[in-house]
Amino acid sequence: MHAVRSSSGSASKASGKKTRLKTVKLDASSEPPNKKPRTVIHQGDGRLWVDKYEPTVEADLAVHKRKVEDVRRWLSEAFEGGPTGKLRKYRRILVLTGPAGTAKTTTLRVLAREMGFEIVEWRNSMSERGPNDSWMDTEALFDKFQAFLTRASSCYNIFAASSAIASTQSQSHTQLKSLSEPSTPSLPSTSSSQLSNRHLILLEDLPNILHLPTQARFHDALQSLCGSSESGPPVVIIISDSGLRGENAYNDDAWDGAGGARWSKKETIDIRSLLGADLSTSPYVTRIAFNPIAPTLMTKALQAMLTIHFASTSGKPPAKDVVDMIVESSNGDIRSAVMALEFACVVTLTKGGGSGKTRRNTAGSGGARAVLEAVTRREQSLVLFHLMGKILYNKRKGDPPATHLSARDAAKERELDETFVDPSPLPDFLSEHDRKASRVCLETIASDSPIDSSLLGLYIHQNYTMFCTDVDQCDGVCEGLSWVDCVGGHLPSTTPHAFPTLVLSTLHALPTPVPRKGQKVCKPSWFDVRKKEQDALEGVGDVTTWLGHGGASEEHAPGRWTHADVAVELCGWLRAVDRTGIAQLQVPRAHRLFSYLPWGAGGVGGDVLGEDEYGETDDVDDQGDIRVLGALRDEKEGKGWWLESDDIEEAEMEA
Amino acid sequence: MSLWVDKFRPKTLDDLHYHQSLSTRLKSLAASADFPHMLFYGPSGAGKKTRISCTLRQLFGSGVEKLKIDQRVFISPSKRKLEINIVQSNFHIEITPSEAGNYDRVVIQDLLKEIAQTQQVDLNAKHRFKVVVINEADSLSRDAQAALRRTMEKYMSNMRIILCANSTSKLIAPIKSRCLLMRVAAPNPKEMQIVLEHVAKKLKFDLPEEASQQIAEDSGGNMRKALLVFEALKMQSPDLSGSLKIAKPDWETYCHKVADLIVQEQSPARVLEVRAKLYELLTHCIPPTIILKTIAEQVVERVDEAIKADVMHWAAFYETRMRLGNKKIYHLEAWVVKVMSLYKHFMYNFDMADYE
Repeated sequence: MHAVRSSSGSASKASGKKTRLKTVKLDASSEPPNKKPRTVIHQGDGRLWVDKYEPTVEADLAVHKRKVEDVRRWLSEAFEGGPTGKLRKYRRILVLTGPAGTAKTTTLRVLAREMGFEIVEWRNSMSERGPNDSWMDTEALFDKFQAFLTRASSCYNIFAASSAIASTQSQSHTQLKSLSEPSTPSLPSTSSSQLSNRHLILLEDLPNILHLPTQARFHDALQSLCGSSESGPPVVIIISDSGLRGENAYNDDAWDGAGGARWSKKETIDIRSLLGADLSTSPYVTRIAFNPIAPTLMTKALQAMLTIHFASTSGKPPAKDVVDMIVESSNGDIRSAVMALEFACVVTLTKGGGSGKTRRNTAGSGGARAVLEAVTRREQSLVLFHLMGKILYNKRKGDPPATHLSARDAAKERELDETFVDPSPLPDFLSEHDRKASRVCLETIASDSPIDSSLLGLYIHQNYTMFCTDVDQCDGVCEGLSWVDCVGGHLPSTTPHAFPTLVLSTLHALPTPVPRKGQKVCKPSWFDVRKKEQDALEGVGDVTTWLGHGGASEEHAPGRWTHADVAVELCGWLRAVDRTGIAQLQVPRAHRLFSYLPWGAGGVGGDVLGEDEYGETDDVDDQGDIRVLGALRDEKEGKGWWLESDDIEEAEMEA
Repeated sequence: MSLWVDKFRPKTLDDLHYHQSLSTRLKSLAASADFPHMLFYGPSGAGKKTRISCTLRQLFGSGVEKLKIDQRVFISPSKRKLEINIVQSNFHIEITPSEAGNYDRVVIQDLLKEIAQTQQVDLNAKHRFKVVVINEADSLSRDAQAALRRTMEKYMSNMRIILCANSTSKLIAPIKSRCLLMRVAAPNPKEMQIVLEHVAKKLKFDLPEEASQQIAEDSGGNMRKALLVFEALKMQSPDLSGSLKIAKPDWETYCHKVADLIVQEQSPARVLEVRAKLYELLTHCIPPTIILKTIAEQVVERVDEAIKADVMHWAAFYETRMRLGNKKIYHLEAWVVKVMSLYKHFMYNFDMADYE
């Protein structure tokens, strides 16, 4: 096991596993011209930009100020206990969540430097072994983890003050490596020794918690950390959200007309599975969610980085539109943006090398654009929000421009329309299927979609009614959904045609143009329903067991009741028992989950939708930063099929 | 205090109130030396399980009534643990493999092999074989059915299988051909009334003729449902004069109201409203097939003769899709929308004709 003890955010991880972005604003505005740009590449010290230009002070962070402030407040409360000094007890675990590349780790490191504490980090390592390690390693990985936690929470690093790299070998092949920073300008040189008793435990590389026993032990370990004395250091856990996964949640949805226990297995890590149900709601745990980085902040950071890079090395920075394009395609992931930027510098310089400035501007930037587009295209580059807008608004050639569009945008739309070829007219008997050419580019949508076909189906299903004017249109949409679901069978994600079929059938069925009534796109309530169903199913299971064990009869009558029978036929009786109040029966109370079904419960659908807006854990479209991103795209690209994106936003604001 | 359904369940073939000819046949089968594999099928609440347990008693004597419940753990190929409740006596074993969901094959294979490989050790047992009762056989997956098929032949000497299913259409042909098919039809209202009166007599109270008639007619040939409604009604209105509504499950009246919603208005907003109701039904664990069936029956009662056939056609159509598909709500809703569209067009044309 290697526990890397890095003080004050030094580069303990050499390879670019995590982003470290350093942007220092300099006033140097112009860069020296260079005739042999290739040398630039070899000039570096072999580190990637993400490591080389990692921010060191808070001002350089591309994270929103408020988020940083949140984390800082938590940390100070954890160390000093807030204004009353009592908060310390409850600041035990901080969970930072957010998409990859939103500077979660970097923020922590920068704050570590500023506030002067050490980060003790756990790392799973199987292969890396120090030279002095014996080959016989009998400790299980999780035991090591536990040992690490214990040690980290009770011991202090005695080498913290030394400036050189000091490594120590503990008895159980544990390597506590201390990398002390050669004093940075922002800190007084004495600070590291003064404050070295302040440290926190960073868990980023987690034990394999998809393995259930390990997960249980992990929960126990964290729990004991919370319950124990106040003296232990706080724990920070960093989780990168993975993309939306529609499939896992309901893979095993097979109601065969008869109930029965069902097992759902979590494949993704989220805060609930990580901390366990009780811990994640306990006061000891604070969660701070990082949003994708706003384009304005990112552009600023990238520009600053370019400035500093080309100030120290010779070369020509890429044009502004290249930076804009990188920002736009990065989708709020600053790590990928920096990577792309570094790559862009290499490419443009190679292309434009030796030729005049004019040529670079004409041919070079076009070529760079093509290359960059190929490189920076990411799977999740189309935001779900906009995807739904595109599909549900069903824009077709010759639609009157939306009222909020500027004249320029409207003209662009018309221009775009010119490029569409009208489909050849259909024979008379098919004339009802005649549609104008669609402005939606199916290929782009399918390749850029952040969600899989089954989740798309759920979203369409949740929202289509608002965009229809007539039941016949609803019929078309529903028929498409039903057909795709039926053809896909139990493995919908394996059908490559499901996604395009869904989109096309929906587009075909929706009215054209879709009347604008301030529609709001809602998240599918399907997940809620499913959860409730699972709960109720457990209630059914309870009652079935109760019946089987002679709850209602003197003799055992096991096996006579199936789950479906109980759910369908026993409710009337259960209700009667409840009403007449026969207490000695001791019917499991859980039966109310399925036996009571008053008319009107759950409203008429409206509140079901409203609730969902923020209820689901996989929030995608309530993040402010993303919307800004969308708006920027519209201005910059004006590619027509982006234009729909702000429709829904406006509608939302109105409503 | 116990459920009347369980308390007054007939114990022997002689106690059964209806389907006398079936009882005689079962009795002679049990007496003969070669008892076949059997498949009991018929609508729910017709008395399949009662007949199975009576037959078992006829086969082995009262020893089969000494039941014990075991919880067995099976390991699926993906190393997932499945806990299945098993009810058994010395002579038979009863399982509901559909509780294991998609992993029913594992349960069938492991359990049957184990039983088949052990011989009856009780020297006093009337028969050398053990009986395996498989409930809800029609929800067995294809895999499980295929696994069953081979076992049935191979271990015939040590084991007999009794399947219990609602319909044979979901069983594969090889299984059907290996079994003796026993259809247990739903009792007619007369027969049900006899049973209801029998129960009332045992409990020593008077059952008014009209009440028993009402209950029998309302339950649609489902004896279990009739008895449950009867008991619930008795609990809440001791003289049995109350409306049946108070004793009936909530979801049924709910479905009736959903049918009203569909017929009253046909608009996208109404579709949304109906969806909320369908979701509500699904969260109460009502199987989607039953939801579709109940609502369809109610809609048919409310619409014009001309489109009744279409309504049912589409109900059957989307029911098939529901079985093949994954998300039941799509198909339920697709049917609702289809009916709305049908109804709307019908009314529209009707109005136009009227106008002309």
